[in-house]
Amino acid sequence: MSGDLVVVGGTSHPDLVTAICEKLNIKQTTSSIKNFANGETSIQILESVREKDVFVIQSGCGHVNDNLMQLLILISSCKIASCNRITVVIPYFCYSRQADIPFQSKGAPKLLNDGKKANENFQDFDNSGNKLFVSQNGTLIANLLTTAGADHVITMDLHDPQFQGFFNIPVDNLYSRPILEDYIKWEIEDYKVDLDSCVIVSPDAGGAKRATKIADSLGVPFAMIHKEKKMRATADENNLETSKVPSMQRADSYTSKFITTTMLVGDVNNKICIMIDDLVDTGYTMLRAAKLLKQQKCKKLIIVITHGIFSGDAIERIIEANKQHNLIEKLILTNTIPQTEHLKQFTEGGIDCKILDVSTILSEAIRRIHNGESISSLFERGWH
Amino acid sequence: MSSNSIKVLAGNSHPELTNKIIEKLGIDKTNVFVQNYTNRETCVAIADNIRDEDVYIIQTGIDHEDLNINDYLMELMIMVHCCKTASVRKVTCVIPNFFYARQDRKDKSRSPITAKLVANLLTTAGCDHVITMDLHASQIQGFFSIPVDNLYAEPSTLKYIKDNYDVNQKDLILVSPDAGGAKRVASLADKLDLQFALLHKERAVANEVSRMVLVGDVKGKNCILIDDMADTCGTLCKAAEILKENGAKQTIAMVTHAILSNNALERVKNSELKKLVFTNTNPISEQDKQNYKECIDVIDISGTLAEAIRRLHNGESISYLFTHVPL
Repeated sequence: MSGDLVVVGGTSHPDLVTAICEKLNIKQTTSSIKNFANGETSIQILESVREKDVFVIQSGCGHVNDNLMQLLILISSCKIASCNRITVVIPYFCYSRQADIPFQSKGAPKLLNDGKKANENFQDFDNSGNKLFVSQNGTLIANLLTTAGADHVITMDLHDPQFQGFFNIPVDNLYSRPILEDYIKWEIEDYKVDLDSCVIVSPDAGGAKRATKIADSLGVPFAMIHKEKKMRATADENNLETSKVPSMQRADSYTSKFITTTMLVGDVNNKICIMIDDLVDTGYTMLRAAKLLKQQKCKKLIIVITHGIFSGDAIERIIEANKQHNLIEKLILTNTIPQTEHLKQFTEGGIDCKILDVSTILSEAIRRIHNGESISSLFERGWH
Repeated sequence: MSSNSIKVLAGNSHPELTNKIIEKLGIDKTNVFVQNYTNRETCVAIADNIRDEDVYIIQTGIDHEDLNINDYLMELMIMVHCCKTASVRKVTCVIPNFFYARQDRKDKSRSPITAKLVANLLTTAGCDHVITMDLHASQIQGFFSIPVDNLYAEPSTLKYIKDNYDVNQKDLILVSPDAGGAKRVASLADKLDLQFALLHKERAVANEVSRMVLVGDVKGKNCILIDDMADTCGTLCKAAEILKENGAKQTIAMVTHAILSNNALERVKNSELKKLVFTNTNPISEQDKQNYKECIDVIDISGTLAEAIRRLHNGESISYLFTHVPL
């Protein structure tokens, strides 16, 4: 159908590109990716891609906007160089989370520039009655990729499954679930010894569906942490109500206007908790959940994350919290984002960290898409 | 049509220019928060109501330490998209220094035409109209399928020369540092009734100057080098050196877009260039302004942009601005 398979890699995650090429048994197409003195990205593909089936690999991590523009320019270069078809492989899809209110004192990502001042300004407007109109970037990013010339998108564990609908081109959302399940089944000793001693935990309501799927397929019980945001005016009543319900524990934190409460649904007492989430960015949600589980006397906590972004001072904070409260038994990540540096920091900080390789699933998806085969079996079984 | 008004939104790239423009237009700034998260994604939030308004977004293509040109481009596209989804009537991007303007042709095999890509991306984001200034190649206007108004800094440049030099003395000569800029210089020389000379350069690698040959006589004259942009200033400094070797009395340089990467101002200070004059399409830090105040001069073009915005909003002709500096 289409020409030869060709892999072009961006600079965001060279290790993954190498691993995928190795598994596909082909050589990565050489390209020159540089920056001009004024910061503009300069790209040239150094080998012919005429009438080829091109796969461009770039993860949405690091300097996100830089890497995204680099990806768009790479796609455009291949298109201009008369390639047959362009499939974009984005293991971690940037801008896939819809921002809610942009700045909270806790929880939401912090600002880089002039953070405090902007925050104060924001609060004035927050009280003015005119609700902030916050950009929703999903459609934009989808359209930009299509405009640049992408014909097909492969990604992994999208935060919102609806994100696929933003595109007018096919999007294959792969799942890391088979890899994670295999790891839990074969590598976690406690699971092998006693199924009933384990419980799968979702740190927020959004991830509940993902976590229940794993819990069902592993045959273990499920628990969930629910985060609520309420206006402060009603806070006192709520506290009274919950004190009557012993099975629900609340950890309250006050922000200027809202009260954030977390509560645990399910039983974790003296159990091995396996907390599953699709991504960790600042790590606030993860740490809050870990502390709550510790309060609820869980025996061990194993955290399984697909996309470990760890922006800002997340790693230092996680290490610090772990030193104080001894929260994390094991941290399991995948390499959709470069983790070599994170792994080093975690290991030095005394956290047992393990990186799972997703290049097999990605390379198999690439091979199947190139050959026009079905990829749905990858959703269930993964590939070994 | 119900009446709608001008709303000016600013990205993070050039707040100073925005303030000057809104001051000249006599309107308030629209409150918009353009933020970078710790994970380096950009988020835009608009605090004022802009429904059914005529929106102008001001963003220029520059490189800062923590935010670079790609960040600003993404900021711009997200702002455009955000305005569009907030039901504005029309979005106009005001980009004094256009992004990726120099990558306007396929000069090598398998290299991208990024300027065209940027044009497509902006249109996709929802931009309805573009105002820019002194495009590196005016053909970039053709990359868009939406109207593009390419303004000229030439009237402001002319005014500066007339204000600062006696053009009737005939000891002035305009010099183009490369063959590509000859047209620009010839046009200026005609309007001032001055002679012009030209430097021909053979360039081996981008941003590096190899060899220059002077065409024309500059002996005993005050030279004004004219170019559209100054990046590392390598070309301009080298040109000033060649002019000196050929007997020029003194040399200044005038450019529209001062990108000034890689310590360009330090290079200018240590070169034969007496002064570098540029417009404020790109911002310059207070610190640089202080440190190099003897060797730089800034021409304010916010008036031209503000007048273009006003005229565009009222549906008047823009062409007056091609030859005149608004008061």
